[in-house]
Amino acid sequence: MRAGTAVQAAKRRSASKASTVYLFALPATLLFVVFIAYPILWVAGESLYTGTADGRAVFAGFANYTTILSDPTFWIVVRNMVLWGIITIPVQMLIGGLLAYFIERHTHALRGFFRTMFFLPVVTSVSVISLVWVQIYAPYYGIAQEYLKHVGIVMMTSPIGDPKTAIYALIVVNIWQWTGFSMLMYIAGIANLPSEVLDAARIDGARGWRLGVHVIVPMLSPATKSLLLLGVIGTLQTFPIVHLMTGGGPNRASEVFGTFIFKQSFVLGDTASGAALSVIVLVIALVLSLVQIALLGARLSPAGKDEP
Amino acid sequence: MMTLLSRNRIRGVVIHAVLFVVLGFWMIPQVYMLSIGLRTPAQAFDAALFTWPVTFDNFVTVIRDNPLGGIFLNSLIITVATVAIVVAVSSLFAFSCAILRLKGSMLLYTTLLTTLMVPLASMVLPLAILLKTFGWVNTYIGLILPYAALGVPFAMVILKAFMEDAPRELFEAARVDGCNAWQTYWHVALPLVRPALVFVTIWQFIVTWNEFFLALIVLTKSEMKTLTIVPMQYSGFYMANPGALFAVLTLIALPLILLYVLVQRAFVRGLLAGAVKG
Amino acid sequence: MATLSIDKITKAFGHTTVIPELSLTIEDGEFCVLVGPSGCGKSTLLRIIAGLEPISSGRILVDGVDMSDAEPPERGVAMVFQSYALYPHMDVGRNIGFGLKIARTPLAEITERVGRAAEKLRLGSYLKRKPRELSGGQRQRVAIGRAMTRKPKLFLLDEPLSNLDAALRVGMRVEIARLKAELASTMVYVTHDQVEAMTLADRIVVMNGGRIEQVGAPLDLYHRPANLFVAGFIGSPAMNFLKGRVASAEGDQAMVSLDLGFSLRMSVSKPPQPGAEVTVGIRPEHIVLAAEGQADAVALKASVVELLGSDTFIHVRDGEESLVIRDSGGRMVRAGDRIAISLPPGACHLFDKAGQRISDTAAATEPA
Repeated sequence: MRAGTAVQAAKRRSASKASTVYLFALPATLLFVVFIAYPILWVAGESLYTGTADGRAVFAGFANYTTILSDPTFWIVVRNMVLWGIITIPVQMLIGGLLAYFIERHTHALRGFFRTMFFLPVVTSVSVISLVWVQIYAPYYGIAQEYLKHVGIVMMTSPIGDPKTAIYALIVVNIWQWTGFSMLMYIAGIANLPSEVLDAARIDGARGWRLGVHVIVPMLSPATKSLLLLGVIGTLQTFPIVHLMTGGGPNRASEVFGTFIFKQSFVLGDTASGAALSVIVLVIALVLSLVQIALLGARLSPAGKDEP
Repeated sequence: MMTLLSRNRIRGVVIHAVLFVVLGFWMIPQVYMLSIGLRTPAQAFDAALFTWPVTFDNFVTVIRDNPLGGIFLNSLIITVATVAIVVAVSSLFAFSCAILRLKGSMLLYTTLLTTLMVPLASMVLPLAILLKTFGWVNTYIGLILPYAALGVPFAMVILKAFMEDAPRELFEAARVDGCNAWQTYWHVALPLVRPALVFVTIWQFIVTWNEFFLALIVLTKSEMKTLTIVPMQYSGFYMANPGALFAVLTLIALPLILLYVLVQRAFVRGLLAGAVKG
Repeated sequence: MATLSIDKITKAFGHTTVIPELSLTIEDGEFCVLVGPSGCGKSTLLRIIAGLEPISSGRILVDGVDMSDAEPPERGVAMVFQSYALYPHMDVGRNIGFGLKIARTPLAEITERVGRAAEKLRLGSYLKRKPRELSGGQRQRVAIGRAMTRKPKLFLLDEPLSNLDAALRVGMRVEIARLKAELASTMVYVTHDQVEAMTLADRIVVMNGGRIEQVGAPLDLYHRPANLFVAGFIGSPAMNFLKGRVASAEGDQAMVSLDLGFSLRMSVSKPPQPGAEVTVGIRPEHIVLAAEGQADAVALKASVVELLGSDTFIHVRDGEESLVIRDSGGRMVRAGDRIAISLPPGACHLFDKAGQRISDTAAATEPA
């Protein structure tokens, strides 16, 4: 009798425990299913249909994809994204890493000040930043052409108005905005370096730049790998700077995935090709991330997905 | 000894000087923004970083003419609600993975983790359609919940790592002390990961406050707009009056900059406490 | 206070069984020490008693009530953890009173009981400090205080002294002995240190490989170890084991000849087969340094001599066999000296090939 009630009590307990546990995981699961998983499945399905004149959706197979892939703009976008990634990511790492190194290892009283000031572009609203840089680049009254002519660089037009230079001008803005983030990641890495290893390297005679190159840089590789991963995802979701400064122009020369999707989906109202583009971006992101994780063992760690 | 000391000192001075010069260049956009905002209409189009004299007229004008308070409030409501949801939901989930270790939680964790690899650009179209279906266009909730869903995975990674680093015996002690799962979460787990909570809160605040793409699509009514998306309309509105435009841009950028300066110490502390685990 | 009955419990992690069917009863008010080498299952057993580890089969009864699936508070247990497990964000007072707070005890009572525990443990002036501001010994006392205030039926301690340095450990051991008298609670104490076990326990449970090797009062285990494992585990330096054979056996007497050359007549509980391989155990302190030429003495060469002041440890090695002799007589012996030793048969323990004790209780008392 007693054993029976004990078993029942145990069952009740484990049942109530199970439901409690379920409640802990439930909100995250719900958010994920409704706002991530479902939309992704929806967009994947939608990319296989095309709208007809009378508003019905007709199964189209991969027609939307072939249309997108044969659009020359798509290949401009691909080129721009590659440029964006291979310029932004290493430059940010280099500047951010150097700043982090000198701030962490050679400043004391002003350390907090430097850390904060170099990070401020990250917390400054991207739309404000974009308009300020439009003004900086502006012909006649912008300060870029005014001051750069003193060092021999003469700009007749705004660099964002020229199809040849627009994408580079935007990349400069992007690097400026997000270098502080790379710096902070490296600062965290440097601060967490085991001091015994640095002492040991000192005793082995490594000093100055040799210490940096042979000891510190390799030991910061976790931060570097995270930055690479976040950089790739950040590149693929680039939008505000381009949308606000050039709108993808002139003549689509600075188009990126974000602006391309925006135009197809919301300006032209072509949901089918917008959906196909979304899926393409998603697949590229997943493939590149998984390749990195497989090759480098990179981990998705801090700080968000808004990089670079 | 003396020479070594002075060599170190000289090197310190040089490094500080270089850092200040680099910082000077780095701050040009912000300084320029403020500088234009302080100009009279006559100087507004001068191609110079600084002009003299300065005037605060632009600031007076834009504050008088624009409902900046309401826009600020929209940003604040959306951001605070998102941060609260992200912190609550992700800490609950991290607790269920790291401490309760329920069956299937690791699978769920890995699934949620892939969200980190999803670029927002590819989510905007389906989310827009979903929100339209829900009738959530131009509502706070229409931004808050998607933001929360996108923010939870990152926060969850950090909080789970912190909880796993905490000694397990503490959670067993709580059980012996009579805590159920909820009490353990509230009285033990959350206080233990406080630095991580602070870090996650601040980062989520920055990300949400500055989010542009989804806000642009979901918030089309002017009385719903947030600080991040109004600059576009001002740039058309004040096309001929850069002084006013940059005064308003300064005001828009200011709240988050001030907030960050206030909390940066706690933010960096959280980061250094191991938020970055490579 | 409570009687704890462990009834045929087994514990398996996946396919590995760590505790195969174990039964044990701990009496009301008893101070019971679980001792054994690391990995013997003693901590797992304690965690099972606490309710932190579910059992695979069997029952746990507290005062006759089945508590096999009960949460720790329902069992009325309190526990002192090896790492103390103090909540780092709470001050000492809140750490001690946390369990009472969770149990919705009125605030006034919490304050009173925390105050009483703090006084008893000399923590009165530290109530507002955080654990990180305390020394190891103070943290230890807070952990004990936390367990005390809940007036537990079962007071469990998991290697509570292992994180303290040697000097502090001796002090805390005395303190725990004092608490044991004051609390008069049923206590289960896990340690790998046999000195703690010997000095604190009413009863010692020696465990090995998930099984109980022997249960008994400390001196029982010391004088009448049931098998080679217990004989070797209890006592420091460890008991010497010497190989030998039964020369002849008759009734309750057996003649044993050792490889080292000794010949011993011993009382046995059951007569062994002549010629059977046996092991003779003798504690280092029971070996007698004899005069040269004494009839039953054997001369051996001292290989290492350790002078501790009060005692001298003489290590002897001869072929496969080695011996440690503890001499308190202050004889001057140097490494390399030949010394004559004799083994008083009354102080010797005889174990059969399976390692079970076969000698009679003769060694129960100190040899003359």
